[in-house]
Amino acid sequence: MTASGSRLALPLAALFVAFFVAPLMVLLLLSLHADVAMKTWTLDNYTKFITDRFNYSILIDTLLLGVKATLVCLLFGYPIAWLCARASARWQSVLLFLVILPILTSVVVRTFAWIVILGRQGVLNQIALGLGLVHEPLKLLYTETGVVMVLAQVQMPLMVLPILTVLSKMDPNLADASRVLGAGEWRTLWKVTLPLSLPGIIAGCILTYSASITAFVTQSLIGGARLIYMPLNIYQQAVGANNWPFAAAISIIFMVAVIAVVAVLNRLASASETYGRT
Amino acid sequence: MGARSSIRWDAVSIKLVFGLLSAVALVFLMAPTVIVLITSFTASQSLKFPPESLSLRWYAALWDADQMQRAAWNSLVIAFWTTLISVVLGTAASLAIARGQSKLVRAADVLFMSPLLLPALAFGFAALIFINKLGFTPSILFLVLGHVVVCVPFVLRTTLAALSQLDPALLEASESLGGSAWMTFRRVTLPLISSGVGAGGFLAFMASFDNVPVSLFLADERTEVLPIHLWQQIETNLDVRTAAASGLIVIFTLVLMLVAEKFAGLTQQMR
Amino acid sequence: MTSSIERRSFSRRTLIKGAGASTLALAAPSLVSSLAWGQSKTLVAATFPGTWSEADRQIILPAFKQQTGAAVTQSIVLGTDQISRLVAAKGNKPPFDVAFFDSPQVIDAVRDGLISEYPVAQSPNYRDLLPGAQDKWGPKITMQVIGIGYNPNKIKTPPTSWEDLWDPKYKGRVGLTALNSQLGIAFIAELNRIKGGTDDNFEPAFKALRELLPNVGAIGANLGAFATLWQQEQIDIAPYNFNFVQTLKGKDVPVEFAIPSTGPVGWSTSLHLVAGAAEPELAVKYIDLHLAASIQEQMLKPPYDVIPTNAKVKLEGAITKSLAKSQEDLAKVRTLDWAKLNPQRGALIDRFNREIKV
Repeated sequence: MTASGSRLALPLAALFVAFFVAPLMVLLLLSLHADVAMKTWTLDNYTKFITDRFNYSILIDTLLLGVKATLVCLLFGYPIAWLCARASARWQSVLLFLVILPILTSVVVRTFAWIVILGRQGVLNQIALGLGLVHEPLKLLYTETGVVMVLAQVQMPLMVLPILTVLSKMDPNLADASRVLGAGEWRTLWKVTLPLSLPGIIAGCILTYSASITAFVTQSLIGGARLIYMPLNIYQQAVGANNWPFAAAISIIFMVAVIAVVAVLNRLASASETYGRT
Repeated sequence: MGARSSIRWDAVSIKLVFGLLSAVALVFLMAPTVIVLITSFTASQSLKFPPESLSLRWYAALWDADQMQRAAWNSLVIAFWTTLISVVLGTAASLAIARGQSKLVRAADVLFMSPLLLPALAFGFAALIFINKLGFTPSILFLVLGHVVVCVPFVLRTTLAALSQLDPALLEASESLGGSAWMTFRRVTLPLISSGVGAGGFLAFMASFDNVPVSLFLADERTEVLPIHLWQQIETNLDVRTAAASGLIVIFTLVLMLVAEKFAGLTQQMR
Repeated sequence: MTSSIERRSFSRRTLIKGAGASTLALAAPSLVSSLAWGQSKTLVAATFPGTWSEADRQIILPAFKQQTGAAVTQSIVLGTDQISRLVAAKGNKPPFDVAFFDSPQVIDAVRDGLISEYPVAQSPNYRDLLPGAQDKWGPKITMQVIGIGYNPNKIKTPPTSWEDLWDPKYKGRVGLTALNSQLGIAFIAELNRIKGGTDDNFEPAFKALRELLPNVGAIGANLGAFATLWQQEQIDIAPYNFNFVQTLKGKDVPVEFAIPSTGPVGWSTSLHLVAGAAEPELAVKYIDLHLAASIQEQMLKPPYDVIPTNAKVKLEGAITKSLAKSQEDLAKVRTLDWAKLNPQRGALIDRFNREIKV
C-alpha cells in the first residue's frame, strides 16, 4: 500500500504518543524519584516494594487471583462456546446475545448484584440453607472464593468469544474423521477439538486474566478491607496516602507483571497455532 | 453394532456434561442482572431478595436524584464524543493497518491494541500525573481523550475484521474506473464495512459509558460520571436507589444492544 | 448477492447517516456547555458518607436551592481523603468549595493553608452558635460520639464495656472498620488508652487487636461497606458512631447504641471555606445555612439525630435518651489529642492493614 495510505494511521498514532506513551513515560520517571516535583532521583520506591513482604505478597495474591478466575472461566466458558458452535444460526445469535449482555452492563451494577446474592441473607445462602446443603450461612462475601466467583462471572464473555471464533472456523471434517475412525466423542474432544481450539483458549485466557487482575471495582466491593490486591493498593497509595512516587512504582511493577504473563501466554499461543497444521 | 451403541453413549454423555456446565454458566451469567432488576422494585429500604413487597418508589426517587441525573448526562456526553473520535480515528487507522505491510504499521497495530491488556487503572493514574505535570487540571477534554485511548481498540478490532472480509478486487475495480481514493472509500469501502464500524462504535460507546479505571482519576466532582457515582453510593450508603439506577442501566443496555443487533448485526461481528 | 448487499448496506447507510446527522445536530452545543444540566450555578460541597450526606441531601440541598437558586454537587469523601485531594490540587482549582472536617483535619488544613478564614461578617447565623462552636477558621456544626453498636435482636443484654467485643461468645460476629475513617482511628486510640498505651506507643492497641481478630467477622473497607454489614446482619457488635446507628435504625436495620463504661469518645465536626474556592459566596451561604436554628432543628430529628451547635436549639430525642441531657454534658465528652495522633495516622493505617491482612 502507498505511503499516503499508511498516513491514515497518523492521527490516532499522534494521539497515542501524546496521551498514552507520554503519560506512561512520565509514570516511569516519577517512580524513580522521591517526590512529585521530581527533584531527587532514587530507587527507594522499588526497593521498598521488593523488600517488604506485605507489598509483594499483594502482587503474588493478585497474580494468583487471576489464575483462579481464569480457570473457573475456562471450565464453564468452554462448554458454552462448544454448544454455541454446534447450535443453529438462530440459537447462536440468542446465546451470543445472552453472553454479551453481561459484559456490556455496567461492572458496578453487576458487582452490586453479587453483594445482594452473596450476603449472609443473600440468595445463594437462602437456596443452600433451604436445600439443606449447609447448616449455617456460607461466608462468601469478603472472601477470596467470593471474589473469584464474581470475577469469573464478570469476565466470562471474554473467554467464550475467542473460543467460539476458533471453534466456528474449525474444519468439521476433522472431528468427523475422528469419529469415523472409531474414536468416541470424549476422545475426539481430547485429541482433536481441544488441541485445535488451543489458540482460542489461550486468547480467551489472556483477555480474562488481564481483565481479572485489574478489576478494581469487583475486587474492592467483594473483597472488602482484608483482601488487598494491586489495583486497590495503587488507588490507596495514590489517592489515600497521596504517595504518588510510590504509587507510580507499584503501577510500573504491576504493568510489567501483566506484560510478562501475557507475553508467556502469547508464546504458547503461537506455538499452539502450528500444532493443528502438522 | 457394539461400536454404534458406544458412540451413542458418548454423544449423550458429552452433551449432558457440557449442557449442564453451560446451563450453570448461563444462569451464573444472567442471574445477577435479573436479581438486580427484581430487587429494584422492592418497597422496603433494604436490599433483600426476594423483595417482600413490590413498588415503583425507588424509580420515582430517581426523579429527585439530581446529582445522579447530572452524572448520567455527563456519562452520555462523554461517551458520545469518545465514540465519535474513536470511530473517525479508528477507522482511518484500520484502513492503514489492513493494507499496510511495513514494520511501522505492524508496530502501530500492537500499540493501538495495548490498552486492552495493560491495567487501565495504571494508565488513568499516569494520565493524571501527566496532566498535573503539564500544569492542567482534569477536565472533560482529558477525560474524553483518556476514554478514547481505552475504547478505540474495540473499533479497531471490529473494523479490521470487516476489512479483512473485503474483496480487494472491488477496490481495484473502483479505482480503475476512475474513482479517487476518497470516493472509493465513501461509496465502496465504507458501506461494506459499515456493520463492523457500527458494532465497534457501539462497543466503544458502552466501554466509555461504563468506564471506571480511567474516570476514577480523570473525573472529579464537576465532571462526575455515572459508574463512579454509583460506586461511591454503594461505598458510602447502601441506597436502594442504586438498585433502581442499575435497573435503568440494564434496560438501557438491553435496548441499545437490540438496536445494534438489528442494524449492525452485533452478534455476527463478535463471532 | 451483490445487489442484496448493496441494498442492505444502502438502507443501513442511509439510516446511519440520518442517525449520525441528527445526533450531531442534538449535540451541536460545545463540549463544555453541553455539560450544563440546567442553567443554575453549582456549588461543590464535601460531606461525610452516611448520616451527613443523607441529611444534607434531604434538608440542606432543597433549602439552599430555594434560598439561592443554585444546585449542589455533593462530594462524599472522608475528612482525611478531602485533605489528600486538597493537597494534590494545591495551586490549581480545588475539587470542592466547602470542606467538611473533623477536628483532627482542621489542624492539618490550617497548617497547610488549605482553607480560608471564615468571613463571620457575611454569616448572619454565626452569632447564634454556642461559644464553643465558634471558630474563625470555620464554625462547628455538630459533634460526633462513638460507642458500641449492637444488634438488639441477637444480643439481648446491651454490652457495657469495650471488653465485651473480646467475649468468646461473639466469635465471628464482631465488626471493625478500616482506619481511613475517624471512627476507626478513634477506636484504636481509645483502645490504646484503655490498654495502657500512650500517644507514642501503640503496641498495646495492636496486641489487643490481634487478640480480637478471631472474633472479627468482617472488616468494612469503608463506612458504606460497614453499613452493609449491619444491614445484611453479617456482624452483630462493633464500635460505631451514634449518628450512623440512628440513621440505620431509620432504615429498619436492627441496631442500637450503647455507651461503654469508660465513657463515650467524641470530637466536633465543622465546615470550612476552601482556599481558592470557585464559588466563595455560595460556599459561605451554604455553611451559614447549616448554622440556622430552623435547619439544625430539622437535622436533630430522627433518623439523623445530628447534635446541634446553635444555642437556640434544645436537645431532644435519641440524644437525650442515650447520650446526654444537655449541652453541658456533651461538653464533658472526652476527646483525643489530635495534634499528637495526626502525624501518626499514615503509620497507624499501614500497621492496621498489615495486622488484618488475611
